[in-house]
Amino acid sequence: MKDNPMLKLSYRYDQTSARLKVEGLPDFSRGQQEDSLGIISTWSLELIGSSQVEGKREHLQALMQVVLPYARHQLSGVKRLFGDSSKPVSIGPSKEGGHEITLRSSQDAVKPLKIFLDDAELTDLVRCLDDLRLDPRIQIPWGLSKEAPLPRNELAESVPFLRRIKASLIGTTTFILISVLWMMIPIPPEEPRLNPSNTSGSLLKQLN
Amino acid sequence: MIDAISTSAKLSGDDKSLLFDQQSHLTHKTVLGRRGLERLDLLLLVVESLDLNAGQAMLWTSDQLGFQSRFPNRVELWKRRCHNPLRRSTRRGTIKASDSEALILLVCSMAYRLYPLLRQLLSSKEPNGINQERWNLFSERFSELLEERMNTRRGAVQRLLLKEFSPPLYRQLVLTLALCVGRGGVDRLRATLFDPKP
Repeated sequence: MKDNPMLKLSYRYDQTSARLKVEGLPDFSRGQQEDSLGIISTWSLELIGSSQVEGKREHLQALMQVVLPYARHQLSGVKRLFGDSSKPVSIGPSKEGGHEITLRSSQDAVKPLKIFLDDAELTDLVRCLDDLRLDPRIQIPWGLSKEAPLPRNELAESVPFLRRIKASLIGTTTFILISVLWMMIPIPPEEPRLNPSNTSGSLLKQLN
Repeated sequence: MIDAISTSAKLSGDDKSLLFDQQSHLTHKTVLGRRGLERLDLLLLVVESLDLNAGQAMLWTSDQLGFQSRFPNRVELWKRRCHNPLRRSTRRGTIKASDSEALILLVCSMAYRLYPLLRQLLSSKEPNGINQERWNLFSERFSELLEERMNTRRGAVQRLLLKEFSPPLYRQLVLTLALCVGRGGVDRLRATLFDPKP
């Protein structure tokens, strides 16, 4: 949605439980078109059942940088925290089930705001953020890495330890058992070898 | 069961063009591995569990995506899906990279159509009784399809059919479908299908 084509631009991305609105200006110094948004002056996120979140471009970028990788990891079944206490935004699995977003203000006096989302609300938020970052009218580098398969060690953490080592444990145990059984088979006593020179000598002795 | 064709959102002009843009991805050269194929086929099975007319809807969607020559009928689609090693009647060999890419786009666009249903299933704000009833219907239909189409002697299929293990697995599949909706979803789904074995 474009409010004022002359100067200020406003775009809105709606889903069932989330509404993301960005306002800003085109960056003419970069040769952007009139309907392109290159400078975000303000943005707001409304999530049904929680308070409205507003901020600067950096905060939106920080939100994207944790929510989208979190969603990517959810697809692979990896549930871990993204963003630590030093970051303005973090997201992780909630103890009560669902997902917990923590928003920290740069001012020390302000307590962190916690937003709890269920799976449906998370997908709505992810769709809003996807729509924003992939909108050709929004000409802002978000600094997001390209979607890629997860490294094996990250995936391994999501699999229970016993299940992870089950195959190698069975293999090693079987190998050891077979080796022990094999070692328990008695070795037949070695028959004395006849030395050809001795043999002929003994035969000669017998003949004499 | 649920008739999603009447309830699901139809692709608008803009959305269609977005999905058509995704056809450039068909130039991907990487061949999908065994685990990826299993997951992709399971996601299509989830779509079939949610939508009684999914077979026809998949053909319509593939037509909309411009895959008429690739999937001209259900049999061709079924033949590609039979590369899944968990299937009762599995096909040997690997699926072409362009075919697997087409299947990924098909899953994402079907998920887009079914998003309202997926959302209902995942939402904790829905009335508990009704939501439980929806999950029961879905689970029943999904288990039936698994028993009908998959090799039930395989451990992975048995785990999917076990009542004590299946609810989180089914929820994970529904969440996967919901998160692969939209433009960013295609890349997300592709990336997760190429995950290595843990």
